[in-house]
Amino acid sequence: MSARIQGGGSWLILAALALASGGALADGKAVFDKTCAACHTAGLLGAPKLGDGEAWAPRIKTGVEKLYASAINGKPPNMPAKGGASDLSDGDAKAAVDYMVAAAQKPPAKAEAKPSAPAPTAPVAATPAPPTTAEVNAFNRLLKPPSKRNLPPPEDGIHDPANDGTHILQPPLTAFDPLPRSTAGNRVNWVQALDGARIGPRWDLKDPAAAPVVMDLNIVREVKGSMPDVVYPHKQHTAWLDCSNCHPAIFVPQKGANQISMAAILLGQKCGVCHGKVAFPVSECRACHSKKKDFLPAKTAQQGGG
Amino acid sequence: MFLRLAAVRRLGFLRIALWSVVVAIILVASKEAPAEYGDVVINNYSDGAGMRPVVFPHWFHRMRFRCKVCHADLGFQFKAGGNEINMVKIIDGQFCGACHNGEVAWSVENCNLCHSAKPGTPTQVHESTIQKLVAPAGQGARK
Repeated sequence: MSARIQGGGSWLILAALALASGGALADGKAVFDKTCAACHTAGLLGAPKLGDGEAWAPRIKTGVEKLYASAINGKPPNMPAKGGASDLSDGDAKAAVDYMVAAAQKPPAKAEAKPSAPAPTAPVAATPAPPTTAEVNAFNRLLKPPSKRNLPPPEDGIHDPANDGTHILQPPLTAFDPLPRSTAGNRVNWVQALDGARIGPRWDLKDPAAAPVVMDLNIVREVKGSMPDVVYPHKQHTAWLDCSNCHPAIFVPQKGANQISMAAILLGQKCGVCHGKVAFPVSECRACHSKKKDFLPAKTAQQGGG
Repeated sequence: MFLRLAAVRRLGFLRIALWSVVVAIILVASKEAPAEYGDVVINNYSDGAGMRPVVFPHWFHRMRFRCKVCHADLGFQFKAGGNEINMVKIIDGQFCGACHNGEVAWSVENCNLCHSAKPGTPTQVHESTIQKLVAPAGQGARK
């Protein structure tokens, strides 16, 4: 019996909370005008402008909970917690977000309504447009969408946003901006970044002038099937690593002494000690499998024909 | 009386079931950690000591030091959690302490800059191939 009363009680509280947040909705414009307008009207410091559907669309896609979190906890480097007004309640901040989201979703709805022309159902267009595709049916559902790449620490899912230190850490994108990009991993081409001196990582802990002895020797590994052979460049590896990092523990420095398979690499052995963890991942097949085979079958076919 | 007790007990079970569904949903929802590629979470002792686990951002460090400095000179093994690092060793100048000593980089009193992961995050290299292969359900590779 008491259990039932408790259960009912918690539902009541939930309902009350829902009502409270609903009540705060009406104040969204007031909160916006007072606190958010300074940046979000003119678009200062990269702030998405009020009513700018394009700027808001990718943000809205990440879900309103994320936006609430950004408004309440801030979003480095430029968005301060609660827009700098620490006396705002969480509900006020959420109401302001709701207001901005609603404002961002309005113009596209009107724009869509115009081309479709003589629709007499004008009041329908006033309701917020439904999201175009359900999350479960999204294109490339299992790939990381651009909105989830290189997120700042408080949003990256492993850092604790409740930790004050998390908000001091540098967001990756602010560092990656001047670097050559790639299509996988950190989405930075680290080899090009080093070659082009966009970064200057030290070779020695204390001595900034120390330089590696780069060994320019390619090792070609012939592989089975039609996959291009692997060209292993010592050059790019010795620019980052010491010989002892790989030899002899991971690779015996002797021709034919190392059994390497993609299975082993996928499980984090051999090349997989780094590739798939920090160096470019195994999705980049052609980065290693880069030497076209001398196509033997064609030759024999020619001989057979002649 | 007995019937009423049974009813109460059944309600209790219902509530437990409901809550476990809620917890399961939260777990599933939180499985997707869009962490930066190569971020290493180290949780050998942190959870047990009541600290947040450590996040080591590879990207930040490789912009400043080549792999060789940490993985050859300082003796870091190529294995998440494989170095048995603790604060005594760090303060003694080993591992992280070779730089994080207030001279090369900020020192150990900035606890929360390293100990910044969500509590309970397992030791692993985030976004790694092996993480995706071995632990697709988000429980994390126990290594």
